[in-house]
Amino acid sequence: MYSIQNLEDELNKNNTTNEDEYLKVTDLVTNFYTSRGIVKALDKINFSIRRGEIFGMVGESGCGKSVTALSIMDLVQDPPGRVVSGRVEIDGFNIFSDIKDLAKIKVKSETDVKIKRNKRAIKKHNFMLSKIRGKKAGMIFQEPSLALNPVLRAGDQITENILLHNKKNIADSLINRANLSLDDVKLVVDEVLKNKDETKSILNNWCRRNALVDLETQINSIFKNYTDPKEIENEIVSLIKGGLTLVDKASLIEARDYYDYKERMENLEIKRFAATEESDSELIRSIGAEEVKLRGTSGARFRSYSLKRIFTGKKVEKAFKTEANRRAKELLSLVSLPDPERIMRSYPHELSGGMQQRLMIAIALASDPKLLIADEPTTALDVTTQAQILKLLRNLNQLVGASILFITHDLAVIAEMCNRVAVMYAGSIVEQGDVLDIFDSPKHPYTVGLLGAIPTPQVKTESGINLHTIPGSVPNLITPPSGCRFHPRCSFAMEVCSKSKPKLVELEAQRKVACFLYTSEVEE
Amino acid sequence: MIEETALRSNRTMEPKKHSRLENSAATFRLFLKNRLAMVGMIITLVYFAIAIADTVYPQWLGVSNLSTALNFVPGHIANTAQPSPPRFNGSWWYWFGTTYSTIPILPVMLAALRIDLAYTVLIVFLGMGIGVILGSAAGYFGGILDEIMMRVTDIFFSLPFFVFALAIVYVLGFSFDNVVLALIIIWWPTYARLSRGLALETKSFKYVEASRASGASNFKILFGHIIPNVLSPVYVQISLDLGSIIQLFASIFFLIGSFAQSTYPIEIGYMISGGESYLSEGLWWPVIIPSLFLLVFTVAVNLMGDGLRDVLDPKLRR
Amino acid sequence: MELRYFIIRRLLLMIPTLIGLTIIVFVLMWSLPHTFLASAFINPKAPNRAQAILTAENQLGLNQGIVLAYLHYLGNTLTGNWGYMTLTTPIKFDGTVLSGIGLFFPNTIQLVIFAAILSILIAIPLGTYIGARPNSIADHSGRIFSLSFYAIPVFVLAVVFQVIFGKGVIAGNPVGIFPISGTFSISAINVISPPSWLVSGVGGVVLSQPTHLIIFDSLIHGDYALAGNAFMHIVLPVLVLTLSLLAGILRFLRASMVDAANSEYIKTARSKGVPENIVVKLHMRRNALIPTITVLGLLFASLLGGVVLIEDVFDYPGIGYLALSTILSGSIFGVLGTTFLFGIILITANLLVDITYAILDPRIRY
Repeated sequence: MYSIQNLEDELNKNNTTNEDEYLKVTDLVTNFYTSRGIVKALDKINFSIRRGEIFGMVGESGCGKSVTALSIMDLVQDPPGRVVSGRVEIDGFNIFSDIKDLAKIKVKSETDVKIKRNKRAIKKHNFMLSKIRGKKAGMIFQEPSLALNPVLRAGDQITENILLHNKKNIADSLINRANLSLDDVKLVVDEVLKNKDETKSILNNWCRRNALVDLETQINSIFKNYTDPKEIENEIVSLIKGGLTLVDKASLIEARDYYDYKERMENLEIKRFAATEESDSELIRSIGAEEVKLRGTSGARFRSYSLKRIFTGKKVEKAFKTEANRRAKELLSLVSLPDPERIMRSYPHELSGGMQQRLMIAIALASDPKLLIADEPTTALDVTTQAQILKLLRNLNQLVGASILFITHDLAVIAEMCNRVAVMYAGSIVEQGDVLDIFDSPKHPYTVGLLGAIPTPQVKTESGINLHTIPGSVPNLITPPSGCRFHPRCSFAMEVCSKSKPKLVELEAQRKVACFLYTSEVEE
Repeated sequence: MIEETALRSNRTMEPKKHSRLENSAATFRLFLKNRLAMVGMIITLVYFAIAIADTVYPQWLGVSNLSTALNFVPGHIANTAQPSPPRFNGSWWYWFGTTYSTIPILPVMLAALRIDLAYTVLIVFLGMGIGVILGSAAGYFGGILDEIMMRVTDIFFSLPFFVFALAIVYVLGFSFDNVVLALIIIWWPTYARLSRGLALETKSFKYVEASRASGASNFKILFGHIIPNVLSPVYVQISLDLGSIIQLFASIFFLIGSFAQSTYPIEIGYMISGGESYLSEGLWWPVIIPSLFLLVFTVAVNLMGDGLRDVLDPKLRR
Repeated sequence: MELRYFIIRRLLLMIPTLIGLTIIVFVLMWSLPHTFLASAFINPKAPNRAQAILTAENQLGLNQGIVLAYLHYLGNTLTGNWGYMTLTTPIKFDGTVLSGIGLFFPNTIQLVIFAAILSILIAIPLGTYIGARPNSIADHSGRIFSLSFYAIPVFVLAVVFQVIFGKGVIAGNPVGIFPISGTFSISAINVISPPSWLVSGVGGVVLSQPTHLIIFDSLIHGDYALAGNAFMHIVLPVLVLTLSLLAGILRFLRASMVDAANSEYIKTARSKGVPENIVVKLHMRRNALIPTITVLGLLFASLLGGVVLIEDVFDYPGIGYLALSTILSGSIFGVLGTTFLFGIILITANLLVDITYAILDPRIRY
């Protein structure tokens, strides 16, 4: 069944792959320098995630899945770990463009390694990362009970994120609200009262248009509780302007412009950062010019503003905080947490494991990133909660449109959740492709073994359920096997396998395997 | 991160004897790598070596009897009241000058350190023995014994130990033995509380349950499984406490010495208090030199203790 | 509020500890010859000595068995009947134990409060700074600093500071500008007609009015020269106490900071894009302070020991010096009274520590 439509889709896909890729990881190497030796945790990882897809990553424990997740955000604990080389492009920006400057690593022997860190470069690197992390990619950890700060209230942990990255956006919606006149409200009230059957859709539209989505349910209930149009208008106006009574529109606009200016300057700085690393002098010059221009037009104005903010900015900040709180509550209902008001005030230990993980997801979503990295988000939870969290993540993927990097050791979960999957073994990706393809016809002997290791009730032999196992165990990554790291456990091992490492090559469209059964290409 | 988890898992998985041996070899290698801790251990060992040499062969200090400082009053020095400053020509006795009664500081101090070390070790190990046995028993048996134990240690922990030790010494009368007794009384609860917690943890390990199921007596389990397992954090505590106890011991004698000169000046706190009276005349060495020797020892045992803690139990914090 | 219930619970838990303290002090007393106790309890210059000893025997319940005697002791302690003390060396004092404590306590409070505030003000920012940069040069020097001052016996520190900074100890020493004993110099006041607010108090001790603290009293009465002189006198004791407390706090705060830096929630904070300085100041420090608070109680116990030694070295008339004087003068009820007082101080300090802990750590509330 190969229709023209399919073909076209295929062509489109191939044309747009590169633009589609939100995350692109190239030759990523991460090592841990321990007193027992160098743990080569990641050995040149390559993969990419497209916008909107759920990408699975599967493997035994200790194969480097979690290290991959941490390396993508440069969150590997240092010491002992460091990302040594490679590229991680998030939304086209390589966060490791300055990796050569960060530290000089001198390996004298396995156990004697001198790392000389360049504090200045690391400081700059961290500043740059703080603009990328959270904003472009959020992270969900394995153990919510450990990953949530025990001494901060849930609400503060969410709003922290919102206020860090979305101030301009908040200012915009506050201004929008301040712009709303009584006449606008009158119009919509009239319209609703005329078409009572369509109350919901009219309000939905109107709220969307005027950035009032978070108030939609409350406005709905006003219509239910009151009948007199005058009363309804008053209630709606007081609801909308409630958070704004403290500040006038002028100072809101001033604050918006200030944050806009700051954001632009930061963006330029990040751009220049990337340009410097790639020594693109043309680009650097144009960025410099733009910066001068920006500073010339609004710099002076905002220098005085940042001073003013210290004395009179409290009210504006409070309006921001109120709005952030409102958004946080909205997020809490988005991740189906009951009674957001109460949750906002709770400390993490007062919530159950499942609720903590929902909170964690809400935190990761708070700054509206387009990529979620979920590192075994359900492993620490009980089975029923697991199912709920998985469902939530899938729904969010559709609703918010964020891509998800889903890391797990559970093949069943991968089959249920993901579009594409990469199979990891001992720090390398051994196979990658569409979930269905991989489950239907696994290529790499390790994947074959892994799939064989799932007990399937259908396949029964005389001795009952047939349970395959892969002989041996995960190798020690301080002294990994030579060549293909899987060869000591592989029943198809050939002479070449112990000598050189196979390259991850594309067998067919979107299907990659690293095994000498399929290729003779060698990884350098 | 990886290292720490490896160590921790080794400790909690434990059971087999040979794995414990392997583990301690690895631990020892890790300890050797920590240079500061090694320096601490070497200095500590040197101090103990000197103390042992004093006891076995006191003649090297130039005397046959170590009991009083009067042995060190050199006959060939004119008995002027003024201590003489350090001088480096001639006998090593005078490298650090002399103190009251013109006795040379260096040999007296070496003899004094022997006393301090001996009593400190005595206090720490007796306190440890009492504390570990009572604490482990309380943790292992639980119930009313545990409850009483907890209350008693609570009370001891809310006592200002130094003042309390002074009061005990006062009531019992001043003597080396009574100071030792007082310090044991105030110090054993530290070990009791530490080992109680560890015993509670050990109690629930599978191999303890297994040996109980196979009919081992409580006595056997307590001394065969619980206490051995409690010991490794206790070692850390001991190494840190050597420093604390020698401080307390010297402090008590410093106080006594600053008011009542007695015939037992061979104690480091005593020596310091004896030298204090010369300070107003600008003669600093009778105070500074013994202080430095005491300081070097306490720093050394603390370095060693910190190193031991890092390798034996990364999670233990006092 | 939940916190209120926590405090009530904690106050109730204090009762067995207080009873334990009284039992221990009582046992100390009971182990001494009873005839000696009765005669030590009364004013030796009482007019009818035989009668007074008999009354004291009854007050102490010496002939009524150990249980009743303990109850008597408890009653005496609660009603403020702590006995009589005659001190000869080094403090000269003659009066009831409680009145003596009243005279010397303010000086110690002043010393401890100055030292505590100073060391906390320095230790928290410094510990945060070095704890956030493990194995840097700042960290190594901080560790060496805290280890040496933690390991150095406090009396050694006091004596060494006397040598280095004491006025007139080493001739021509440019930093030797601080007086090394007492709370003020006699030369700073007019001995022939002393100010009216310097009065001779109970037991022949010279006292300033109204706070008994010479610095504040001279400020109140406008004698700034004397205030300056008194200030110079407490610099060294406060400095020594501060350093020893500071070293302890710094050591634990640094360790807790390193622990906190390794936790998962720090990764979460970074993954949100929180700037590094806020990660350290909000996420790390807030958590690191909690374990540090728990050792404050322990540090405070050794601080009280340090008070005795420092007050001795600097001849500073506080309760540590008083405790020492009771021992050296052989005044049994003075010894028991000051020991009990130190116990109460520590129990109160532990209470405050626990409450602070509960405020900082939301997990502790029941």
